Amino acid sequence: MRPSFFHHLHPPTIPTAQSRWRYTLGAGGTAIFLMLVLVITGALEMFYYIPTPAEAALSIQTITYLVPFGGLVRNIHFWSAQLLIVVSAVHLLRVVFTGAYIPPRRFNYLLGLALFLISIFLNFTGYILRWDTGIQWALVVGTNLIKTIPFFGNNLYTILIGGSEPGSPTLIRFYTWHVFGLMIISAILIGWHAFRVRRDGGIALPPPSLRADPNRISRFELVRRETLAMILTSAALIILSIFSPAPIAAPIRLSVLQSVPESAAAPWFFLWVQQMLKWGDPFLFGILVPVIILLILVLIPYIFPKTLESELGRWFPKSNRLAQITLAIITLLIIFFTILGSLPTS
Amino acid sequence: MTDLSRRDFLKLTRDGFLYLSGALAFGGLLRFLSHETNSARKTEFDLGFVDKYPLGSRASISEIPALLIHTDSGFTALSLTCTHLGCTLKPNETGFACPCHNSSFDAEGKVTHGPAVKPLKALRIEITDEGNLKVFTA
Ligand code: FES
Repeated sequence: MRPSFFHHLHPPTIPTAQSRWRYTLGAGGTAIFLMLVLVITGALEMFYYIPTPAEAALSIQTITYLVPFGGLVRNIHFWSAQLLIVVSAVHLLRVVFTGAYIPPRRFNYLLGLALFLISIFLNFTGYILRWDTGIQWALVVGTNLIKTIPFFGNNLYTILIGGSEPGSPTLIRFYTWHVFGLMIISAILIGWHAFRVRRDGGIALPPPSLRADPNRISRFELVRRETLAMILTSAALIILSIFSPAPIAAPIRLSVLQSVPESAAAPWFFLWVQQMLKWGDPFLFGILVPVIILLILVLIPYIFPKTLESELGRWFPKSNRLAQITLAIITLLIIFFTILGSLPTS
Repeated sequence: MTDLSRRDFLKLTRDGFLYLSGALAFGGLLRFLSHETNSARKTEFDLGFVDKYPLGSRASISEIPALLIHTDSGFTALSLTCTHLGCTLKPNETGFACPCHNSSFDAEGKVTHGPAVKPLKALRIEITDEGNLKVFTA
């Protein structure tokens, strides 16, 4: 048989320990599957979506209420995007809590982090494409936040927004980033990320002489498990889509800055930032703190004590405690702020 | 002088050119993307005949957005754009509140609760010879 990318990712046999659910959680594979679903449902939406301020929200209403299965397509696109953020976060937590990011996997850890960041941008740009009264404050606040960056904030604002206030150039830019720019970058990074998994010897395990479990599973068993994960994910997507449709709001009548919004809430994955913005300086809380958190994540494999090779392949190895504690604190704070931010204000 | 072999020199030159052209292309891309497509924003709003706004009236002008107040001391137009990050304020009993991060302002536009620090902008008003009220946002 001619070797293919499929065979690259599915060697004839792999150690059983590398495909144990309770070790990998299946998070990385599920994330790739969700991206695939997003590409397909997104391409379908492109047949109807019109990226102009006057028609964007209306074309989404057309997809949702008039096109046969359009509502289902849109709901699945929405839920895949939200699940992707959750699953990617779980994947990141798994990799740090099992200490798997040490060399030779350090570079792939960075690729994964970049992918996580890009999926957040993809989610945010997609959210803005609704261009209805549900998203307008998120757009105004998010873009005004860029202006608070010293020195080049105003230039960056123009580059992203395409004018002096949000309008049709903004929508077409966000659209282009969403369906093309960010998509291309993430497609390349996903291929590279998956390729590196095999190159680095599969999922992290101790060296062969120290492995407790010498068993291996075949390619067929691996594909069987992957299929199971895909079926479960699809079921979750369909159930969510049926019982909890993607949000939609009334179209924006005047320009973005002038009409009255239905909701002042940020998208759920930015609620923690919105909460921090209530406390003070926008640049500090809205830009600096998130950037510092990202920087800490980038530096985890460089500045903290390394995981011992013999301790690889299981949860919470003693040798990288410091990294685990740091990430646990960051995660808990973000969850706590998110809860605070989602409480109704008195 | 240190020894720089011919091979190293060529490699250095090649890498230098590669990075330079990359940087130039990136700079060019940023310039390309920084064109402002919107025509200049409207800064002048004609609100019609002055008599439409009698003494004691408060009219909200949603297209700016602003609040036009007519008191004994004349007309004031208070911008309703939050000075924190730009959401539109909602009037309440004591003044104005922001739905985005809970800033609030009193009736004169002074901050009564953060995170906003700057007071609301009072917009320039003019009454033309024909008796029309004009508000300027810039
Ligand atoms: S925009 Fe008004 S408080 Fe932030």
